[in-house]
Amino acid sequence: MNSKKDIINISAKEAEEALAAIQGVAQKTRHSIASGSAHISLITTGIVWLIGFTATQFLSPPLIIWIWIVTSIIGSALAIFIGIRTGKRVRTASSAVTGKRIAIFWMLLTLFALGIIAVAHPIDGKQITLVIILFAMIGQMGMGLLLSFSATWWTVPVAAVALLGYFLVPDWFYLWMGLLGGGVMIALGLYIHFRW
Amino acid sequence: MSELNETIHQTIRLRVMAALVTLDLGDEVDFTYLRDLLDVTDGNLGAHLRKLEEAGFISVNKTFIERKPRTYVAATDAGRKVFKEHVEALEAILKSK
Repeated sequence: MNSKKDIINISAKEAEEALAAIQGVAQKTRHSIASGSAHISLITTGIVWLIGFTATQFLSPPLIIWIWIVTSIIGSALAIFIGIRTGKRVRTASSAVTGKRIAIFWMLLTLFALGIIAVAHPIDGKQITLVIILFAMIGQMGMGLLLSFSATWWTVPVAAVALLGYFLVPDWFYLWMGLLGGGVMIALGLYIHFRW
Repeated sequence: MSELNETIHQTIRLRVMAALVTLDLGDEVDFTYLRDLLDVTDGNLGAHLRKLEEAGFISVNKTFIERKPRTYVAATDAGRKVFKEHVEALEAILKSK
């Protein structure tokens, strides 16, 4: 084995390679932790939106409600199950405190969204949908900023797609949200998983 | 002046330490996650972790989760300090080029 003196005499090229290796691993680790189960959450939410919104565009109310309930329950259960599994990869010293803060944050955000809907009442289904989507994106952005800045960016294209659909194609808003909103989420989830 | 550390300088150990110091202080990572992240075998990673643990640079915590054994690894304060000095020494070599 080399002595410490031998190692001190490494060349600049070796030092450069070592620093590049360190930087590469650090970046890979940060991205891996930041993306965590985000891609699973995005893909499952995207599929739920794709089915739910497309059904909302074409089907009648009682059936729509059931489709949303069933897809949301399956999607949430899957995301929670996979989230718990992937969450075991890194144990955080402050995970209990962070979990409590996340729960309080979402509870308060839901109350604010309900407050806005109540104040703006009467509003139609499309407006309620858009308010919920925008608040969900604000929430996801908040989570991203709290946990890792690199996980915040995807909320912007999803919110932009929702706003564009609302103003440009109001008659086809639900189909737009299903195909483009859900599609963007699925695409972003696949991108984070395979390319990021 | 910061010095290179012989134990850390080995390629896999350097990459292990780079991954562990990226975590927040007090956070620990699962053995299998680290293995997949660094793309190394169980035996190879285990051997290098032992060396780092013997040097006091990492802590290894064996536990059971849902009746399954799991091994968590974290960088110690000493490990973080030595790794920082190692990186500074590498940067100094590059600057003196």
